[in-house]
Amino acid sequence: MLFTSYGFLLFFVVVFFLYWLLLREKKWWKNWVILVASYVFYGIADWKMIPLLAVATAIFYWLGIRIRSAKTEKGSNAYKIIGIVLGVGTLVYFKYFNFFVQSFSDMFSAMGLQVNLHAFNIIIPLGVSYFTFKLISYVIDVYNEEMEPCRDFVVFADYVAFFPTIMAGPIDRPRAFISQLQVNRSFDRGMAVDGCRQILWGLFKKIVIADNCTIAIDEVFAMSQVPASLYLVGALLAIFQLYADFSGYSDMAIGLGKLLGVNVTRNFRYPFFATNIAEFWRRWHMSLTKWMTDYVFTPLSFVMRKWGKFGLIVAILVNMLLVGLWHGDNWTYAVFGLFHGLLFIPLIITGGFNARQNEKTIKFGLPHPVSLLKMLCIFGLCTCGIIIFNAESVGDALGYFRSMADVDIWRASYRFFLFPKNYVGFLVVFMLVVEWIQRDREHALDLTRIKYRWGRWLIYYIVILAIIFFDAMSADQFIYLKF
Amino acid sequence: MERTEIVDKLTVIFRNVFNSENIVLRDDMTADDVDSWDSLTHMAMISEVEKCFSIKFKLKELNKLRQVGDLIATIESKLQQ
Repeated sequence: MLFTSYGFLLFFVVVFFLYWLLLREKKWWKNWVILVASYVFYGIADWKMIPLLAVATAIFYWLGIRIRSAKTEKGSNAYKIIGIVLGVGTLVYFKYFNFFVQSFSDMFSAMGLQVNLHAFNIIIPLGVSYFTFKLISYVIDVYNEEMEPCRDFVVFADYVAFFPTIMAGPIDRPRAFISQLQVNRSFDRGMAVDGCRQILWGLFKKIVIADNCTIAIDEVFAMSQVPASLYLVGALLAIFQLYADFSGYSDMAIGLGKLLGVNVTRNFRYPFFATNIAEFWRRWHMSLTKWMTDYVFTPLSFVMRKWGKFGLIVAILVNMLLVGLWHGDNWTYAVFGLFHGLLFIPLIITGGFNARQNEKTIKFGLPHPVSLLKMLCIFGLCTCGIIIFNAESVGDALGYFRSMADVDIWRASYRFFLFPKNYVGFLVVFMLVVEWIQRDREHALDLTRIKYRWGRWLIYYIVILAIIFFDAMSADQFIYLKF
Repeated sequence: MERTEIVDKLTVIFRNVFNSENIVLRDDMTADDVDSWDSLTHMAMISEVEKCFSIKFKLKELNKLRQVGDLIATIESKLQQ
């Protein structure tokens, strides 16, 4: 059930009214509504995996309590380790088992050895990468005394299975999320209205930008003898497609949370305006970056603290490799991660790793030429990363780069302008301009600084009309659901 | 070791690692108050503190540090063990 479907709209309207209209004073009611809605939502998508979700939730709930009630530090640590092993083990089994089998088989074959390794038919549970990360962070945070263990099973189950975020994030952190459910929520009109605005912007990005990019990409590569410049156009469309699709999904998830009075963690902060690679990752898939920073990068850099910059480089390379592999069982993801890891090295050596970005502007709020140049460089490098990310294999990615590396790349391809969906370029520019103007806001449709109501509504209508007019009618899946 | 002695030694470390002679430690000081206090210099500072006071931090303890006052309190408690 996609957020963009009428089925989901009906589902959410029912949940919304049950949540706010019945037993308004009872927090347990609201928490039960979330729980039932979440399991129904998950069950519609993949009912066979409900037992896995429920059992994992029960085990980690118990582990959290055991970590705190253990009499010794050793015992507490042991329960934490059990949690980490179970969480990582679940993820590895479902997502990477066949990948390891295949990789070992290929390796032995390359050495001339015959092996009898067979891949299993493993069905990957939807959202497994997201809910296992939530479970792992819970046991670590309880162990680190960042939070008390949750002693309300329904609240904990809501945290794990919260339907707006279970399929594709954002990956909420336990302390911030659980504390919101431990108190009753009263309907906040301002929060709900802001949620609607954010959903609207998410719909615009998904339906108008991402889906039209998808069609334009298909059109580009459906033609015979694609010139080099169109390979470049294809790569640019691909990065905007991924951004609009995933950040659009995140905006909708956060907006749905706001409609239920729950703040979901932010996932994107206008990444194309980043002026260095560290800043890019602080703005792109922020909830994953923060998770990996806290649970992988920081412990690694702590262990290697005596090695100075070298230790930091090793930590960031391992961290980014895992960020890449988190996306799935293909070497392209590992190379994508390593590629980004390597981009961090000059930053670490020059000491700009944690430098806070200061966007300089000139007249009319336009970016300063130096800032703009830096943004374009980072955008170009990230576009190269997306080519690797989207390729079927590392060989295919190299082939793509080879196809682009032709003198033809410098010739503007007039053929793109012949495609029915060529207006997508203008739509992307429109999205970027709006986001640049609104870059200090949580989302681009936060128009609270426009004093006049009619002015705000005019913009909402334009966005709604754009969604109706440019609807690609492709009803495409969200890209990040497959991760 | 007295608290003032710890603060004096810590001030020397902070000035060296963060390369600023003007740093005056306050209990409520955080990474936001010092320009060059980032992931790298943070770990370098921790490493220097461990050497200077002959103590070893656990990651769990580091995660709980929110401001300089927490660091001083952790050092004090480790020295008393």
